[in-house]
Amino acid sequence: MKHNDKLVLRTENQEGKCTVYVGGELDLESAVQMRAAMSPLIELTDRELVLNLQELRYVDSTGIGILVSVLKARHAKEAPFTVTAVPPHIRKLFDMTGITPFLLKQA
Amino acid sequence: MNENEDLITLKVPAAAEYIDLVRLTLYGLAVKIGFSYEEIEDMKVAVSEACNNAVLHAYGDIRSHAALTGTLAEAPHIEVRFVKRYDALSIIVKDEGTSFDAAAAAKLAQPVDGKTIDELQAGGLGLYLMQALMDDVVVSSEMGTEVVLTKRLIRSGDH
Repeated sequence: MKHNDKLVLRTENQEGKCTVYVGGELDLESAVQMRAAMSPLIELTDRELVLNLQELRYVDSTGIGILVSVLKARHAKEAPFTVTAVPPHIRKLFDMTGITPFLLKQA
Repeated sequence: MNENEDLITLKVPAAAEYIDLVRLTLYGLAVKIGFSYEEIEDMKVAVSEACNNAVLHAYGDIRSHAALTGTLAEAPHIEVRFVKRYDALSIIVKDEGTSFDAAAAAKLAQPVDGKTIDELQAGGLGLYLMQALMDDVVVSSEMGTEVVLTKRLIRSGDH
């Protein structure tokens, strides 16, 4: 694996919705890249921001902290933000830290 | 050292780019010992959190040292010791940093249950995750911070 493949981000813009596919490892090392990518997207208040975590293999408290920051920023702008396709071992961390109900759409 | 223990030591620069190397080493050892996939995932996160803290303390020290003396301190390291026993694996993460108050951090370690979005904090989850994911966590701060993370091994033959 190439060093710069550690965190893979792909953005898809549709009508009223911006989906970011987050893959690889989101940790202390890749946090800068994730924050830089999120910062302009947070401002797009005319559409829903969705993070698809299907290909995310690893997240630590730094990564969870970024998700919380994005959540708070979007909430302050009254702009919709959700997280989808969370792999089970990552969902476990979300549940443990108590952020699941804030990030995932209630079924 | 006890003759029933095996010791594996890894020393890496206190930099974020080496934490995945610690994870890889842990993964290899934990598979070899016979931990389950879920237990290994838990340990990977806990060990990384301890290393994250060590890296952040080291950066804090480099900054304060540079501010005081105008020069850069020697590049700090993190020492990770894996102690394999018959019924458990302990991972000891030790840094040389001085900018960490373990007792204060332990008081802050808690989940975000029952809070509103405005009350959520983006930081402070690392120590909480370590405590939640491991069977035992001991943090001590003397000459740097040392975190001892222990996961018990349930052998299938024991049931």
